[in-house]
Order: sequence, then C-alpha cells, then structure tokens
Amino acid sequence: MTEKIVDALGEACPVPLIKAQNAIKELAVGDILILQIDHSCAMKNVPEWARKEGHNVEIEEVDDGEWEIIIEKV
Amino acid sequence: MADLSNTETSSSINRDLSVRTRRQRKPKKNLIPVGIGVLVVIVIIGFLLAMKSALLGFFWLTGIGFGFILQKARFCFTASLRDPYLTGSTSLTKAVLIAFVVTTIGFTAIKYGAFIRGLPIPGQGYVVPISFATIFGAFIFGIGMVISGGCASGTLMRVGEGFYMQLLSLAFFIVGSLWGAHDFGWWKLHFMIEGKAVFLPDVFGWFFALVIQLLFIGLLYILADRWEQRGQKQG
Repeated sequence: MTEKIVDALGEACPVPLIKAQNAIKELAVGDILILQIDHSCAMKNVPEWARKEGHNVEIEEVDDGEWEIIIEKV
Repeated sequence: MADLSNTETSSSINRDLSVRTRRQRKPKKNLIPVGIGVLVVIVIIGFLLAMKSALLGFFWLTGIGFGFILQKARFCFTASLRDPYLTGSTSLTKAVLIAFVVTTIGFTAIKYGAFIRGLPIPGQGYVVPISFATIFGAFIFGIGMVISGGCASGTLMRVGEGFYMQLLSLAFFIVGSLWGAHDFGWWKLHFMIEGKAVFLPDVFGWFFALVIQLLFIGLLYILADRWEQRGQKQG
C-alpha cells in the first residue's frame, strides 16, 4: 500500500479535481491519494467525483481553510 | 458536530499512524470572538447606512445575506455548468434550476402585482434585445469563468474566504466591467440594437408565460437528473 501526496494548495477549481483524476489513474487498488487543497470549491467536487467512482473518501481540516482529501482507490 | 467528526475519522480507510502524526497540527484558534466582533461591526455599519438612506441599509443586509448563503451552501454557478462535464454530477445544476424556479415565480409576482395596479412594471429596463452578441458573450464569459475559477459572485465570495489568488480575477473582473461599461454604447449601437426584445408575458399572457418558463426549467431539471443517472451506470 502506497500513499501519494498531491499538492494542490493555491490552485483554483477545477485544477485540484483534474490533478486528483490524473493522480488516481497511476495508483493501484488499495493505494491512498492525499490531496492537499485550500480552495473551498474543491471540497465539494473532488469528494463528489471520488464517491461516484466508488472510492473511499475522507476529508480532514488540517488548518483553518486548509484541507486534506484522502482517497482510497477501490 | 463532535459526533460527526468522530464518525468521519473512524471510517473505513485505515492509514498508517505516521501519516496522522506526521503533520504537527497547530491548535486551531477559536474564531467565535472574531465572529461576534464582525457581527457587531456589521450591525453598526448597517445602522449608519440606514440613517443615511434606508435603501443603502437594505442593500447592505441583502448583500451580506447573499454572501453568507453562497459561502455556506458552496453554491457556484461555474460548477453548476462545469461539473456535469468534469465529474458527471449535476447536483449544483439542479440547485441553480431550483433557484431559477423561485426567482421566476417571485419576479412574476412582483411584476404582475405592479401591472394589475397600473403601476410601471419594475425591472423592464432589463428586457433587452437578444442577438448573437448574447450567445457569443455568454460563450466568452463561460471560458473566462472556468479559467479564473469562478463567476462574479463566486470570485467575490472566495476572495472574502481568503483565497488570495482570485484577487487577480477580481482585479480584472473590475477592469473588464469598467471597460465594458465604457464602450457599452458602441456595442449597443452596432450589435445589439438589431435584435428583438422579448418580454414573455407580452407574447403569451402572464399565466402562460409563467407556465411555459416553469415547464422549460422542469425539462432542464429532468435532463440534468438523467445525465447524473447515466454517469452513475457507467461508473
């Protein structure tokens, strides 16, 4: 099981989503992608997309206005 | 709230503990005193504006209310048109359509109310000719808002949230608006005047205009819903 951290801090929507979509393609099933974001819009569309694809998703607020979206590829 | 965060952290993803502890978390500042301070300032400014003119005070309150709802709901006109393509999700599209239904009914009520009392109908200045300029402008605006990461309201809201990169969007949004306003007369004379202004109640009557518009929005809603279902089957 590997973890990949993708830094999307300071990126406006929809860049974080595209980064996540590209990063998850390279991962194997069971791997974890950690997406770091600070654009509130990505809080909505990234988990929505990931859940739709069937991945497990968690959101953690790391700091005020800074989040980590943790996606486990299924 | 505490319950919710507990269930979230103990969910199905089991990560290495190292990840959790890797980042030393700063203790979060308690923002409630700040919130109370801001509220007091909002009320004081509201009073000062209302003393100058009641309308200004009203604008102040509606503006803040609008921004608050926009931020809390993560409502975004850009995403409502972009996400169906990018993620296959149409939840925001449907939210925008519902907002259209509410405004359609509300504006019809206001306008019809003025009409039956024989008063001038408010907002008729916004019934302007439609032409290819409308379509072309909308297309350019669409490209712009996806690149800059938000439409007008979204950009304002995110700058307020503290996403400073969009100050750039805001600066050029202001430049563009001023420039557009400056040259508006020229555009109007050369491109827009040839179109025909359509006010639906004049064409269909008040009742049918309302029904037709609601039916059309309903149709779009059904299409949006279908689109989401289709995406789910593929995924």
